[in-house]
Amino acid sequence: MHRQLAVLVMMIFGANAAWAQSPRPLDQAEQIRILLERVQQLEKRVAELETKTPAAPVPAAEVSANVPAPQKPETAEAAPAPGPMHQHEPTESQATTRQLEARYPSLQIRGFGDVNFSTTDQRGATSGFNLGQLDLHLASALSHKVTYFGELTFNAQPTGYTVEVERSIIRYDYNDFFKLSFGRYHTPIGYWNTAFHHGAWLQTTISRPDMVRIGGTFIPVHFVGLLAEGNIPSGGAGLSYNVGVGNGRGSIISRPGDAGDNNNNRAWVANLYSRPTKLYGLQMGVSVYRDKITLPVVSPAGNEFREWISAAHIVWTKENPEFLAEFANVNHKNILTNAVTNNQAYYVQVGYRLPWLEKTLKPYYRFEHTHTPFSEQVFTNQDLVGSIVGLRYDITNYASFKSEYRNTKRLPTDPRVNGAFFQTDFTF
Amino acid sequence: MNATNKRVVIFFWTILWAAVTLHSPSAAQTSRGADVAVVVNSDTPIADLSLSEVRKVLLGERQYWNSKLPVVLLIRAPAARERDVVLRVIYQMSEAQFKQYWVAKIFRAEAAAPPRIVYSNDMQFELLTALPGAIAFVDSRNMRPGVKVLRVDGHVPGDKDYPLR
Repeated sequence: MHRQLAVLVMMIFGANAAWAQSPRPLDQAEQIRILLERVQQLEKRVAELETKTPAAPVPAAEVSANVPAPQKPETAEAAPAPGPMHQHEPTESQATTRQLEARYPSLQIRGFGDVNFSTTDQRGATSGFNLGQLDLHLASALSHKVTYFGELTFNAQPTGYTVEVERSIIRYDYNDFFKLSFGRYHTPIGYWNTAFHHGAWLQTTISRPDMVRIGGTFIPVHFVGLLAEGNIPSGGAGLSYNVGVGNGRGSIISRPGDAGDNNNNRAWVANLYSRPTKLYGLQMGVSVYRDKITLPVVSPAGNEFREWISAAHIVWTKENPEFLAEFANVNHKNILTNAVTNNQAYYVQVGYRLPWLEKTLKPYYRFEHTHTPFSEQVFTNQDLVGSIVGLRYDITNYASFKSEYRNTKRLPTDPRVNGAFFQTDFTF
Repeated sequence: MNATNKRVVIFFWTILWAAVTLHSPSAAQTSRGADVAVVVNSDTPIADLSLSEVRKVLLGERQYWNSKLPVVLLIRAPAARERDVVLRVIYQMSEAQFKQYWVAKIFRAEAAAPPRIVYSNDMQFELLTALPGAIAFVDSRNMRPGVKVLRVDGHVPGDKDYPLR
């Protein structure tokens, strides 16, 4: 244990030393600012020269020596009428313009990765490093109305690696109010599941809340089908929606039936959320999900269940502070016996981006709770009461280091488990 | 605590305060220049936006001017004053938060590409005139013809209550 802590301390000092040796970003920014101002002055000078009527040529030395004095600010209305200004011959900048014009398909690939270390006082658990998901995200505009999005993960397993198609979506945009897509999604229930996906770098914490855990069953994380989404004309309320129809849970209830549904009943999902214009950063929403679950094992009590999930969330997405809270109730009704169970889960997470050290530090806290009744027949017991407290340190704009202390308890008879978790995650 | 100890504590607090204050980017003096105009391609069917509508466009929540005309976002490269104003007033984000926002936006399949980066005023005006649906943010002292300047909250650059400065 002491040796592991020593290694971690060395890692932290190493990261700090590397950071200390990097050039001061403010100095670079200042240099770029000066260069940009200079470019702007030169552009202004060129514009002036181009608009002048033919006159005696100015000696080159004089042009380069002259820096135009600042002009009096002009209002938009005072801008001169359209005229024959800036009639360039084909130039380098026009070539740049052509390069920036949209081309189809235009594939962009972005990767995410993370490396973890954990140690807990749980009996039988081993401490050590593990490689998190290596995640590749693909986005490609096929026309100005049609776009493809994909997400592939490579997952370390005891016997090798597995590859998973996490998302594969083709979307047609009619306008801002109606976008129709087909494929495999993260189910739009609540907030986290569609806000953070698989890249750990995007989220404040090391891991997802238990209720939306990848590979978990509490809510169906993935969904195969079609989805309509868009904004709703609602003025300052800033309403948006997602409505979808799909296969629902498969025989393995953590999976969405990628290769086909296991019954003739489609699942549907609806998500309505608001981003009020006067409270920039706030999002509130409600979601409902309906499905019929067919379990592979037939028991005397039946293997078919109606599932009704209702969820709500409220989040403040700014970082001073960050606040995320989400609740979901999963209702199961046995079709044969009419026995009903309700499972609840929620989490509350707060974080705050500290103003010092170029805003690289963000402490956070999360409390989460999951309750499944003893009479529940679809889920195995998922009870959890847990707290995490942690610190995120952004090493650069695209990499971070996170450390967390977790205290969790599953069943009432189980002991509390304390653990320390560390992660470095990045995007590339 | 005796007087010597007090002096030592005050000395270290002063050093700490000075280090934090001088290190913080917010303490850097930001030069106040002319208003930043919201400029669109002259064929764009819009003349007036509220600040919150401008924000929706910049956040990628409004991606179409109408069903046939997509929004093409143009943003100056880092360190340009126009970019500083857009990040401070509209996005209310730091440079790092802005970059992370667009990585996340694309990752959520909510946008196919981030705003296009322009490196100079020339390039900005060429793209504004060449790309239908283009919107850019221009220092009002550097205005040129052939583009449309939008009113923001009913104000034009130069008005006392114009919000982008």
